[in-house]
Amino acid sequence: MLCIKDLKVSFGKSHILRGVDLCLERGECLAMVGESGAGKTTLGLSIMGLAKGSATGEISFQGKNLLAISLEELRLLRGKEMAMVFQNVEDALDPVQRIVDQIAEGIMVHRSISTKNARDMALKHLHFVGLNSEKARMYPHQLSGGEKQRVLIALAMVNDPDLLILDEPTASLDALTKAEIIKLFRSAILGRICIIITHDISLAAALADKIAVLYAGRIVENGSAQDLIRTPRHPYTRGLIRSYPTITATKDLQGIPGRMDHSLSGCPFHERCTQSIDICSRTVPQPLEKDGRIIACHRGGIVPLLEIEHLSLTINSYSALSDVSLSLYDGETLALVGESGSGKTTLSKVIMGIYEADDGAVVLEGSKVTKWDEAFYRRVQMIFQNPKESVSHRMNVLQAVLEPMQVQKIGSPEEMHKRAKEVLELVELPIDDDFLQRYPHELSGGEMQRVAIARALVLGPKLLIADEPTSALDPSVQAKILKLLMNLQEKMGLAIIFITHDIALARKVSDQMAVMHKGRIVEVGATNEILIHPQHHYTGRLVNCAYGRYEKEDGEIDRMEESLAMKRFC
Amino acid sequence: MSADCSISIESGSPHSWKGNAARFITQRLLNYLIALGAIFSLNFILPRLMPSDPLHAIYGDVALVAMTDEMQAHLIRQLSLDKSWWDQMLAYLLGLLQGDLGFSYYYRDQVSLVILGALPWTLLLVGLALIIATAIGIILGIESGYNRGSSLDRGLVASLMFLSGFPDFFIGVLLLLIFAVSLDVLPLSGATSPYAGYEGLSYILDVLAHLALPLASMVLVQLGSIFLLTRNTVVTLLGEAFVLTARAKGCPEGVIKYAHVGRNSLLPVTTATGMVIPHMITRVLFIEIVFSYPGIGSLLNTAISARDYPLIQGILLVVTLTVLTVNFLVDLLYMKLDPRVRYAY
Repeated sequence: MLCIKDLKVSFGKSHILRGVDLCLERGECLAMVGESGAGKTTLGLSIMGLAKGSATGEISFQGKNLLAISLEELRLLRGKEMAMVFQNVEDALDPVQRIVDQIAEGIMVHRSISTKNARDMALKHLHFVGLNSEKARMYPHQLSGGEKQRVLIALAMVNDPDLLILDEPTASLDALTKAEIIKLFRSAILGRICIIITHDISLAAALADKIAVLYAGRIVENGSAQDLIRTPRHPYTRGLIRSYPTITATKDLQGIPGRMDHSLSGCPFHERCTQSIDICSRTVPQPLEKDGRIIACHRGGIVPLLEIEHLSLTINSYSALSDVSLSLYDGETLALVGESGSGKTTLSKVIMGIYEADDGAVVLEGSKVTKWDEAFYRRVQMIFQNPKESVSHRMNVLQAVLEPMQVQKIGSPEEMHKRAKEVLELVELPIDDDFLQRYPHELSGGEMQRVAIARALVLGPKLLIADEPTSALDPSVQAKILKLLMNLQEKMGLAIIFITHDIALARKVSDQMAVMHKGRIVEVGATNEILIHPQHHYTGRLVNCAYGRYEKEDGEIDRMEESLAMKRFC
Repeated sequence: MSADCSISIESGSPHSWKGNAARFITQRLLNYLIALGAIFSLNFILPRLMPSDPLHAIYGDVALVAMTDEMQAHLIRQLSLDKSWWDQMLAYLLGLLQGDLGFSYYYRDQVSLVILGALPWTLLLVGLALIIATAIGIILGIESGYNRGSSLDRGLVASLMFLSGFPDFFIGVLLLLIFAVSLDVLPLSGATSPYAGYEGLSYILDVLAHLALPLASMVLVQLGSIFLLTRNTVVTLLGEAFVLTARAKGCPEGVIKYAHVGRNSLLPVTTATGMVIPHMITRVLFIEIVFSYPGIGSLLNTAISARDYPLIQGILLVVTLTVLTVNFLVDLLYMKLDPRVRYAY
């Protein structure tokens, strides 16, 4: 059992690890993920007693505190009870010694054994990782990257260690070699304590039972691997997963704004976090456990921004909405899909307070909305399908953007002016006087939609409801507007309800998807999961239509109709 | 141990390095032969390109004045100076093959014999200086680099840099004044005590006593560069990932220091050592003169004062040959040390 308590490591004045707590039982495999510079490798090296800085805290392993025992005791544990596979495969082996000798050395250091027997054992271990005697006699420069990686694995396993630390073990390997090496690791980690240091989330998912997310020397989230990848709860974890390309992720890649800064006071992530509040910059959040997940966040992880609870609405005895429940988290996009007349727009109008629901509640940031006042519209804004109609043609660009602020009476005219220009820049529009004085009929559809977005954003809302925002635009302008919305989401943490009937479009922009049919939500969940395995028949039909597979009269889907061009697009 | 694992690792394979090594050596050897050919040609051509007749150029004024007409006629015949260049070259090469480097008028003996009398002393001096300076330099360099920043490191760097700043004849004179003149514990000059008639062990001790001061001055000056190079190489190597691997294996400090870091630091040091050999040979000339050591240096000094051109030419040829041979040996050693060179051909 390995238990790390309040481990702090610093090099001179820079603190690399700022209090790491971790406990692992035999047979458990933990993946330590995070951006470069988070302190992952330092953690591995500290356990091995190889980190150069000074360490405080406790690392207890096999009943000994590794930070307290003598150097000689530590040396005897290294390579025997605990072993590490290093990051840089190219240079990790001595260039002037045969690999079999390097492995035999690892055996002879810890046992009294003749050179010949040690070599025989080394050969056996090399055979086990798939290297024959001929390879064993070679020098490191004669081996490929994958073969060197195998040698390093053999070297780590040679004394049957209890603790195995793998530092970016597959970073430099091609996909096929990586797959083989992962297979090898699967058997290697059995019955041991294993820590995998990586920024490769797919590797973590393939090997680890648990994932710990390290940020600026602190663990910000720790939980079971499958759970954590499916539903990240810390905003940083979600950022990491969003920026990692996988074959099944459908939303475009989004990064995390800003850079890691080790010297911040308060929560280390607060400067890059889109939901930070006052306390985040003042005190360090303590890791708290909830439902088997440890999260260090003052807000308890990603906050639900909007919750819709059992909304029902009957218009002229027609049930427009019945028992609709949804929740939307900060910084996420929910695609509301369904055919025309399924109640998508009605739902958005209820949220915006245009219709009053017969039953149910709209909960914004934890409190039930009772009146739709100025404060509400400061937090929730909407953009519409046809920008030319949604902006008065009697107002020029500047007036259109200023209007919400004038209605809300925010700041002096100069401040409003400044803010208007800022927002126009944010949506990538020019801010020269000529442009500001233009009227809607002088603008293109794309420019007009940008003006509408600027107008919606000028009050700094947390939630944007976009009702078919691009269906009136041609595809290239649509692509630009969507990219703009995604960038705004990345920068400001904007939550978006994206109403569309276009599944292919929803697929590229949304995290979650809710499918509406006849005023009900028939299916809701992660977009990629819904698209791969639609549960509801109606969803299945929508997805098939999106793939260009149309039902024949008997209800069967005719796959023969898929043309090559169709495949290219789907 | 299962049967399939007990395959002897000495068994040959298609990738055996022996084939590569043979090719490597042949290629190197060819390079050296080309260099040698160039030197022989220069030695042959230069005197013949000088103004006045070749005999004059080869033997100089003094020797010719002392020569009888009969001897001159004999020499012209021997060097085929009255025949075509082609015949002259053939005669020259044949002479070389028989070890004939000409006749020294100052010593009144065959040049080759004169050189052979002096060469062992120089080889002894340079060889020992090279071996001792390299060995001590590498060991001190490893210790110093491994404990970079310690007082041992700082002390060694300062003192060895200081020493290597002096020319060796100056150190030689200094040592001579201290140990031979003031303290009178070591002999002043020469390679052996004249007419002492020592035999066996006492002869060896006598030779060593005479060798001590010139050897020490050469080693002290040579030490600095080898030490610094090793130290810096070790400092760089300590940052390499394979050192971390060795530590992670649980290797004790001594093994990391010598088996891994030390072994790898030998590569640049060997190259550098090979390159300092010609410098050492120029420096030994001064040392030999300071200590009146009867080696090639003293011989060259005498030959130059006496304008004994055949002797000068002979010495230069022998020195060049020696340098080439030693460089070839260094190449072989490097191949032995670095498998990457071994397999590169």
